[in-house]
Amino acid sequence: MRGFGDLESVVMDQMWNRAGKATVREVLEDLQRTRDIAYTTVMTTMDTLHRKGWLDREKHGKAYHYWPTLTREEYSARLMREALDGSENPDAVLSQFLAQMSDEESSRLRSLLRRLSSRKGAS
Amino acid sequence: MTVAICLLLYSLVVAVFAPRLLARLTRAGVAPRLGIAAWLMAAGSVLASWSVAVVALLVELLRNWTQPGEILAACVTTLQGVAAGEAGVLVQSGLVALTAIAIAAMTVLVWRWGRSLLRARTRTHRHASMARVVGRRMAGLDAVVLDAPERVAYCVAGRPHTIVVSSAALAALDDDHLAAVLTHERAHLTGRHHLLLAATRGLATNLSRIELFTTAASEVATLLEICADDAAVRRHDPRTVLGALLTLSGGASIPAGALGATGVGVLARAERLAEPPPPAQRARMRLLLSAITLLVTTGPAFTGLLAARGVASCLPGFA
Repeated sequence: MRGFGDLESVVMDQMWNRAGKATVREVLEDLQRTRDIAYTTVMTTMDTLHRKGWLDREKHGKAYHYWPTLTREEYSARLMREALDGSENPDAVLSQFLAQMSDEESSRLRSLLRRLSSRKGAS
Repeated sequence: MTVAICLLLYSLVVAVFAPRLLARLTRAGVAPRLGIAAWLMAAGSVLASWSVAVVALLVELLRNWTQPGEILAACVTTLQGVAAGEAGVLVQSGLVALTAIAIAAMTVLVWRWGRSLLRARTRTHRHASMARVVGRRMAGLDAVVLDAPERVAYCVAGRPHTIVVSSAALAALDDDHLAAVLTHERAHLTGRHHLLLAATRGLATNLSRIELFTTAASEVATLLEICADDAAVRRHDPRTVLGALLTLSGGASIPAGALGATGVGVLARAERLAEPPPPAQRARMRLLLSAITLLVTTGPAFTGLLAARGVASCLPGFA
């Protein structure tokens, strides 16, 4: 699962874990505790994240201060909504392990499974 | 002209009878791969016979064109002919109009279908890359975890492909169940099931009035789930996969407006996992589905040939 774009996920993780705004230098210092990484790499990544709409920024003196545009929870909710709408929406092709069911369908499935497992137990 | 008419009749027969017949045969999920093949070939043969019909019309038109080199002049002559009330020219211009409409309709269909495939690709790739940034990584887990109260697991095609498990699903599933779910999702990705889904759904949305295409889309989706279940069963116990299905079906109720409609498919999957179809039934179904697939695959060519050779005499006016 590792691959291109992984650093973006690491930086966003950093940004969501801290409370307020952060400069590239601050993020770099945090990241350097666990990995060997160059200033320019972090700067480029944060610039990309800004361009993609993940981070907002504001110039303070020479340096930019960055912050996440939405919380992790907001993004999660958005993705989950898209996934749950998947079977209705022809554009989002996701294969869910189990399509969302209505209460009635779900209870039918449960009674079927009960019946099958009791039959198995009896034989 | 005869060829085109016969092919259209053929596609009508397939479009009317195939959905009911195939749905009855494939619903239980015996021989899922052949089931998918039969649905795809049935839909494909209708599309193929339409394309060949358009080409046949065009060929007919060009062959009967009195002055092939001077289309403009011919047009003028045609108009003059119509004005003079010549019946032969009337037929000719009708043929021109028909061919033009048929070509336009096919072009629009291909264009829209292509566009919906591209849109699906963009959406899913974006979803995958977003999920990889938002989702949490867990050591040893070949998936990203999204915080959500619903028990959900799914896969998205992208660069790279991504499997998403919700935090609620992760908490509810034990290790064996989770492994079975992941094997199921990986089977979707390695089997490139998203391409088949996108293709059939794209046809269903653009030709939503034709039952063959809408039924094909939903049945193929269910059969792909069954194929992925089979892959999971090969690695894990059928009861483990069944248990995972049961676990994910519980939990937080689903937000209103997000109800999928494939309860029948889920019931078929559960029944099949609990009691795999006996070998004799499987063999019979394989034979039947292979025969149907062969029939619809060769159908357009056969009909076309028949029309060009034999039946031509039935409609002497057009031949």
